[in-house]
Amino acid sequence: MLELNFPIISVLIALPILGALLIPLIFKTSQKYIVIYASIFSFIELLLSFYAYRLILINGTGGSYNFTEGPISIIRHFGIDYYVGMDGLSAPLVIITSILSLLVIIGSRDLISDRKVLYYSLLLLFQGAIMGVFTSLNMILFYVFWDVVLIPMFLFIGIWGGPRRKYAAIKFFLFTFIGSIFMLFAFILIYFSVTPNSFNITDVAGKIPLGLQIISSVLFLIGFGVKLPIVPFHTWLPDAHVEAPAPISVLLAGLLLKMGGYGFLRFNIGLLPEASAQYAWIFILIGVITMFYGAFVALVQTDIKKMIALTSINHMGFVILGAFTGTVFGISGAIFQMFTHAAAIGLMFMLSGYLHKVSGTRDITVIKGLKFTSPRLASLLVLGSMAAMALPIFSSFLSEYMVIVGAINVNPIYAVTVAIPVITVAYFLWMLQRVVMSNPTTVRVRHHDLGTFSTLTLVLYLIPLVLTLVVPWLILGVSNPISEVYTNLISSGAA
Amino acid sequence: MNIPIILLVLLSIPALSIPIIHLLFGKKGINYIRYLTASSLLISLLLLFGSLIGLISQESTLPHLIRTDLLGSFFGFIVILVSLFVVISSFDYMKDHSNEAIYYSLLLFTSIGMLLLSFAVDLLLIFVAWELMSLPTFILAGFNKQDKLSNEGAVKFFILGALSSGILLYGISLIFGLVGSTNLYVIANNFESLDPTLIPLVMFGTIALLAGLGLKLSIVPFHMWIPDTYQGSPTTVSTLLSAATKKAGFAAAIRIFAVIFPLFAFDLSFALAIVAVLTMSLGNLAALTQKSITRLLAYSSIAQAGYLLIGLVVMPYSDLGLIGLLYHSFNHAILQATAFLAVALVRLKTSSTNLTSYQGLSKIMPITSFCLAISLLGLAGFPPLNGFWSKLVLFGAAVDGGYAWLAFIGLINSAISVAYYLLVIKRMYMDESKTVSNIIEPIAFKSVLLFATIVIIMTGLFPNLIYDLSQEITNSFLTNSLV
Repeated sequence: MLELNFPIISVLIALPILGALLIPLIFKTSQKYIVIYASIFSFIELLLSFYAYRLILINGTGGSYNFTEGPISIIRHFGIDYYVGMDGLSAPLVIITSILSLLVIIGSRDLISDRKVLYYSLLLLFQGAIMGVFTSLNMILFYVFWDVVLIPMFLFIGIWGGPRRKYAAIKFFLFTFIGSIFMLFAFILIYFSVTPNSFNITDVAGKIPLGLQIISSVLFLIGFGVKLPIVPFHTWLPDAHVEAPAPISVLLAGLLLKMGGYGFLRFNIGLLPEASAQYAWIFILIGVITMFYGAFVALVQTDIKKMIALTSINHMGFVILGAFTGTVFGISGAIFQMFTHAAAIGLMFMLSGYLHKVSGTRDITVIKGLKFTSPRLASLLVLGSMAAMALPIFSSFLSEYMVIVGAINVNPIYAVTVAIPVITVAYFLWMLQRVVMSNPTTVRVRHHDLGTFSTLTLVLYLIPLVLTLVVPWLILGVSNPISEVYTNLISSGAA
Repeated sequence: MNIPIILLVLLSIPALSIPIIHLLFGKKGINYIRYLTASSLLISLLLLFGSLIGLISQESTLPHLIRTDLLGSFFGFIVILVSLFVVISSFDYMKDHSNEAIYYSLLLFTSIGMLLLSFAVDLLLIFVAWELMSLPTFILAGFNKQDKLSNEGAVKFFILGALSSGILLYGISLIFGLVGSTNLYVIANNFESLDPTLIPLVMFGTIALLAGLGLKLSIVPFHMWIPDTYQGSPTTVSTLLSAATKKAGFAAAIRIFAVIFPLFAFDLSFALAIVAVLTMSLGNLAALTQKSITRLLAYSSIAQAGYLLIGLVVMPYSDLGLIGLLYHSFNHAILQATAFLAVALVRLKTSSTNLTSYQGLSKIMPITSFCLAISLLGLAGFPPLNGFWSKLVLFGAAVDGGYAWLAFIGLINSAISVAYYLLVIKRMYMDESKTVSNIIEPIAFKSVLLFATIVIIMTGLFPNLIYDLSQEITNSFLTNSLV
């Protein structure tokens, strides 16, 4: 338990929202410095989250809630409090939120030219809301932030998206909102089942009766499963990703999907350990099906963005698999996987945006000879693919390895998941072969390539991946303590 | 101070003098009439507000005809607030209508009826207030006398309204004949000495009462008039019908329900729960298929009545039931009024209520679109707007009162309702409009909309404001309910 004498988490939540509200006032006439303005807010966020993260890492207090604020009651007699804190599960997600938001703001400079005032306010609003999701310790507060995240995303897809944007935006909104309603029902049931009635995670932990744990597990499976997403609730994802502009896809895959993984770990494992221990095989089965489904469907895609989107389904399957193994390796690996996937997939989506800009299409079969026409873009595409297919030069290898080891620890039959990285490698290599390594067609030779600035910002995505491969302690030092706590919960729940 | 009596005088004087002013000054007097109406409502509103926050102490009289309590002030506040919104928006909406003066007079009479209904504890006064509230609205619904739709809606409304008055009166006469009083509290006292074989008849009378009230509460199966009337009447009148008269009906229902229903050994809650399920499901499913925004909002209003009924269902089992009911009554009144008034403004400017005329509206009428979008999200129960909190309390009350399945059905209904609210927002913000020229949004109208939207957002960000008030009212109402 760390304490600070200033409310760091509230600042993390409120600062971007404040920035968002000020944008329409400041940039009424000229929008020249709007990117710099938004980046400054996001950069301060990054520094603050680094500071908080560093304290948790050095003190090794990832197993408990640090910097807690509250409970300050919002509705006093109905248990709704403002109550936030950060533990080893939230901290890596807070860090990756700060990193990706900053990179997305900078990256949007090239790719978004329309209705900038609204766009950058929504970006900052999104950042604040998602910080709230990852740090809320009151279930209703969590739900509020969870739903507030939907509004900017709905508008992002619906306003700046591709040709079928309206359909995709509405589908996205309805799927995730309806899912969240199941989650809310579970929260209400939990509130009335514990004495004294409470929505605070710290108060209800360990008090929920087994029958309700099972009901809540089913409700959470729908609520979080839509976000993660798991098969069969995934159908909104390819549409949303394909239609969303590239920077928004980064947020969608990099941060929004993590809300589902976070929910599974925080609520299913943390609050419902007995039900999760007894019915782990159902969740693991769903995870494995999701992984195979995502991998096989990605194999046959011709749209590079859709392929990357389906990779996310495949990779997020690792999170649910790792979480429900109930081992330190598995849970820590799941947290690690959320971190690495965010960085790797973020890079890939940005690249797909640039690819579209450079070659005018995203069709894998049409783009040819990228290594001749745009060498910088081609090299980054190769590096990004390597990160996404978990080659041992990036830490995505480590996280997937940890999850698989954790799974095999539980039951050797889960060794079947080793096949997943193999399929992933297959479709990425096939894509690279067709897009990068082929000879350019004489008709479509273009000499556009990435500018130096864009190249540099894109390389930034890779730095966390290399850094955490060399020093995995940077993540594991935070995530292992909480994984141990959760492992103990699960093993006592199974007994 | 006896708030209801003071307000009765305060509002009757302008209501009666408006026709005279109109007779004396003709067209020239219309501005006086407008300001007179608005200011008398504003003063009433301030008085009610004062009594709600405890600035003005109410003498707690023994309940004969009226009971001056916080519950009455709360519902009085809601209905007067909505009436004030309606009056101010009507400055533009009813401009140059040939009978504008009479319109304001009728509005004031309806307000008096609603106000009395909020305080009434005697079945006879409930009936009189009911008629005082209903009769002007029949005329208001058909106010555009050249408009066939307006006439159709008004006739339908009148026939069903007359029927409901009849049923209400029948129930009252049965109860009076059997128990020997029309005062709710005396009925409760006399009940013990009643011959047990007569109890089913009293119950029948009570159900007749609720059936009569059901018409205004817009619950299934008394909902048929709503879409046609909301569609046909001037939209400001629809605002009044959906946001105000319905709430006054709920005030009467709460009083009858809280005092009389506990007397029966038989549990009526389950039957009411079924009605609630039917009401919200029918409202939401029918709203999905509507092509006109007024009909969409009409069905949405039916669905919201279903959520409010949850509060009545669990009122005997959980205090949260009444809290949620009061809380959602306030929030729904504001949300529904904002949505309907925004629609009224669009109808005034484009003379269309068709959903297709909302395409690209955000570029033509930015403020109206914003207010409409916020109020629709609030109606859908989207956090952190006020509609979310009160729905949460209602569903929580259902779980607390042992009706978890009802909460689940309510939540599923919320999920369905998001679809049609969202499609309107999509039309406004994502579709391309046919026209490009900006439409000027009148100042009075715009300020009402903006004020209401600010209330929606602020009571959403600080939900304890209204929640604590609802809780206080609930506590004082339930502890003194058998004086």
